[in-house]
Formats: sequence, C-alpha cells, structure tokens
Amino acid sequence: MIWVWIAFAPILGGLAYGGERVLRARMQRRQGPPLLQPFYDMFKLLDKRTLIVHSPHALLAVAHFFILWFSIVAIFMGWNLLYIIFLHLFAQILLILAGYSVRSVYSHIGANRELLMLIAYEPILLLVAVGFYLESGSFEISEILQKGGYLTSMPLLFAALAMVIPIKVKKSPFDVGEAHQEIVGGVEIEYSGIFYEFLYMSRFLEYIFIYSFVFLFGGVSSWVGTVLVAGTFLAVNLVDNATARVKTADMLKIIYSIAMMLCIVNIAGIL
Amino acid sequence: MKFFSAFRKKSPWVLHYNAGSCNGCDIEILAALGPKFDLERFGVINTGNPKQSDIFLVTGPVTYRSRERLVELYSQIPEPKVVVAVGSCTTTGGVFRGMYNVEDGIDRYIPVDVYVPGCAASPQLIIDALVKGLDVLEAKSKEIEHPFKLFGTIEMIGNKLSRLNMAKKVEQHEKN
Ligand code: SF4
Repeated sequence: MIWVWIAFAPILGGLAYGGERVLRARMQRRQGPPLLQPFYDMFKLLDKRTLIVHSPHALLAVAHFFILWFSIVAIFMGWNLLYIIFLHLFAQILLILAGYSVRSVYSHIGANRELLMLIAYEPILLLVAVGFYLESGSFEISEILQKGGYLTSMPLLFAALAMVIPIKVKKSPFDVGEAHQEIVGGVEIEYSGIFYEFLYMSRFLEYIFIYSFVFLFGGVSSWVGTVLVAGTFLAVNLVDNATARVKTADMLKIIYSIAMMLCIVNIAGIL
Repeated sequence: MKFFSAFRKKSPWVLHYNAGSCNGCDIEILAALGPKFDLERFGVINTGNPKQSDIFLVTGPVTYRSRERLVELYSQIPEPKVVVAVGSCTTTGGVFRGMYNVEDGIDRYIPVDVYVPGCAASPQLIIDALVKGLDVLEAKSKEIEHPFKLFGTIEMIGNKLSRLNMAKKVEQHEKN
C-alpha cells in the first residue's frame, strides 16, 4: 500500500500545485486554470523539441528529481528525519551545481540565490528535527508519529517552520530563487522540453516534502496533521497574494533574526 | 506523439517581446493576462523564457536595433511554436510605416501564424488570436522552422543539431 503512495507522490504533488493555482486565482477573483493544469503542462512538455546546453547539465536535473523522490520515499517509509533533510540537501546541491555549470548570467544569479535560500531554511529544518527529537526521543518519523501534543510543546518551532515554507515552495515574499520577472526562473532558465519537466515535477515533490514536516506536528492524530497542512496551505497562499518579494539579503536577515530566535527560545524552553 | 499533441492546446506558454512598439499593445497584453480577462484559464503562463515557450507574442514594427534579438529569440523557441503578431504596426508597419529606422512588420523576418489588427489591439482580440493560435499549434509538426532573414546555419555537432549560429548578427546600421 505504501508503495502505491510513493509511486504516486509526484501526482499527489501535482494535484496540490494545481489546486494551489486555482486557489490563488480565486483569491484574485478570477477563474483560474483547471485543476489538472500541471499535468497538461507536463504532457505538453513531452511533445516539445528539447534543447540542451550540455549533457551533464541536463543529467543533473534528472538526478535532482530522483534524489528528491527518494527523500519522499524515506518520509513515507518513516525513516530518520536527519537522513531525509540531508538527502534533500544533496538534491538541492545538484541543482545548484547545474545552475553554475552553464554560462547564462541569470542561471548563476539563480544558483547564488538558491544557495542563500539553502542557508536560510536548512538550520530551521534541522532545529525542528531537534525539537522532535527532544519531545519524542527519536529522529525516526515512525516513532515521532507514535506520540502527540507537539503543537502545544513547540508552537514557536511551528511558527518558524511556517516562515520557511514560502522559501521552499517559492512563494512571495521569499520567492527570490525563482523571481520570474527578474531573473526568469533562475537555475531553471536553460532547461527546456523533457528536462524542464523533471524540474517541474520536482517542484511538486517539494510541496510534499515541506508539508510533510507540517503534518508531523499533528503527531499520532492524523486529523490534526491534515487540518494543520490545510491551514498552512491557505495561509501561505494568502501571504503570497498579499506581499511583494523581499531582497535576498533581507530574507536572510528576517529568517535569521526572527525564525532562528523562535527556534532557540522554544528549544531552550523544552530543555 | 499523437497522444500528447492534444495537450499542446491546453497549456500554451507565452513569450512576449517588444520589437520597438509604442507600448500600447504591451499594456493590452498585460491587461489580457491580468485578473479581468484572465488568460490563465486557458493555461497560459507568461514565462519570459524562450526555451520554455510555445507562443511568441510580438508587438512593434521591428526597429533596426531589435531585429537581431527578435530572430535570436525566435530561433531559441523549441518547435512546435506559433508566432502571433499583435497590433497594426507589427503586422504592416502601422503608424510607423515607411520610417527610416523600422522595418514594416515582423513577417519580413519570421513566419507569422496569426495577425491581430488594431492600434492598439484590444484584449478581447488578443484572446481570440491566442485561441486561434492554439489550433495552428496543434496542427504543426516538429520540423525546425527558419527565420526569413538573418538566418545563419544549423550545424551538426556530433549527432546533434546546434542552433548556436542559427541567428546571424548584423551591423547596427546596415539596412537589410
Ligand atoms: S499597433 Fe499601435 S498601439 Fe500597438 S504597438 Fe503599434 S503603434 Fe502602439
């Protein structure tokens, strides 16, 4: 059963992405694309000619996607949280390498920003994992999900996690990595056709990755987890529609001054 | 593949380029993309990146300074692709016709599939043109398409086609 979920993880993420586009459109009082739009896009990309810059560049996108998928596998199988975070880090670094491997200036700026984003959200994810360890005595997801009441004992960690979600799913105010009007997608810029499709699908997987951290806060009751995920999803989109992009340096400052503080205070409180 | 061709219609990604227009039609295009006319309900995304686009929306009569970029952008869009010329000046030269620094319309440089009249073309017309363009897009093959002018070469490097020199550079003041 769990393997079915794992195999369909990109589809699940695609539905989340499609639903999000509809939701954002409704928030702006427009009709928006159909729910299955991401899949139409994917099928269309299969039918385009593909231009590649050089083959390692194309291959890195594929590797990025599969390693990301593997970290989703690890989440669904209930493996070690630290292991999952570092797998995800590895996938991200492949993407950054790809960004640096071509001559496009936008791609380089995108890769720089991607690195800075990594520096911003990675410590928060680790501190959240540490929080779970202190509460449940284990880094294993399967054991974390045995207990409950995380939300009451680490509300500040939850707030910090909610602050880094926009970075991960590339939403305003922290969408510097993609910034379509500014650097035209950053690291994605030189991809086309089927290789762009892998990046497009890895975006779906990012949704599952980051929202499964939110789900963990529900602990043993999956109801609380689901409600939390839905609530954060709404809130992130609301903030996305209501705010403008901040500069990369400001993003780092905000995350380090506020989210980091929240984490440290909460962990000190638990200790 | 036949099966996937049906989905071309459902997700046209748009690249918008201003080849020296007065900005009237650009504003109308943005209006068509905005909440009121909501082009996104057809799956349109304004990508701004030629390598990921299907529809090339051009405004402006092609000034001498912009022609290189026009051809360069055109040759970077992977096939199948459709060119939509938005506005009178893009289709015929319009109010700029016969001026010393412009060409009369983009179809001297690249093949155009849909012409939109109007100075400025209204958002409703632009939407109609895009929908018309979708039919053209669905029927197209994946043959490589050439620009008419400033076409360099498509070479084979190894067993791959290289588009590096597909768009030729011109001297800035040379009349073509
Ligand atoms: S058609 Fe008219 S309004 Fe449109 S860009 Fe040309 S001159 Fe401007």
